[in-house]
Amino acid sequence: MTPAQIAALAILAVAAVVGVARVVRRSSLGDRAVALDTLTAVITCALLIGASRVDDGLMLDLAVVLGLMGFLTSVTVARFIESRKDDQ
Amino acid sequence: MSDIIGSVGDVLAVACFIAGALLALIGTLGLHRLADTRSRMHAATKPATLGVALCALGAALQLSSMSDVTKVVVIVVLQLVTAPIGAHMLGRAVDDK
Repeated sequence: MTPAQIAALAILAVAAVVGVARVVRRSSLGDRAVALDTLTAVITCALLIGASRVDDGLMLDLAVVLGLMGFLTSVTVARFIESRKDDQ
Repeated sequence: MSDIIGSVGDVLAVACFIAGALLALIGTLGLHRLADTRSRMHAATKPATLGVALCALGAALQLSSMSDVTKVVVIVVLQLVTAPIGAHMLGRAVDDK
């Protein structure tokens, strides 16, 4: 049981590193926003697996908050890109 | 009998976790491989919806208390409602080439 969960968490860690590389690499603001959105999903998956590992509701609360934060972030960045386009 | 059902649930949960984690990995690899921003958004939707849903299903099979399972349902519904809205706004905002 536990080794499989650790394997899934290891795969998620690799996915997170690949996603962070996408954010750090030189790219447009929209690309970075998309990559950060994906990282939010990866962290939510990790929190869900961690919650099943320790059988604790605290991590699920964190996942709810993270989901809301991720939504607000992508909407805010999208509005910022739109407003910057209008200025030009 | 309940032992057998419990171990079947364990195996299903592990399969869901591994599948969800692999989807997350494929999605982030797609962020590097695909050509333009909207194609990358296409790759980003896989971990955001099916990846989270599979991990949530695995967690719901493992968690013992009913209130925790309800929180898992809240997480999935929240993700399924907010992901298209955010992607829609980002898709409108990114530059047209």
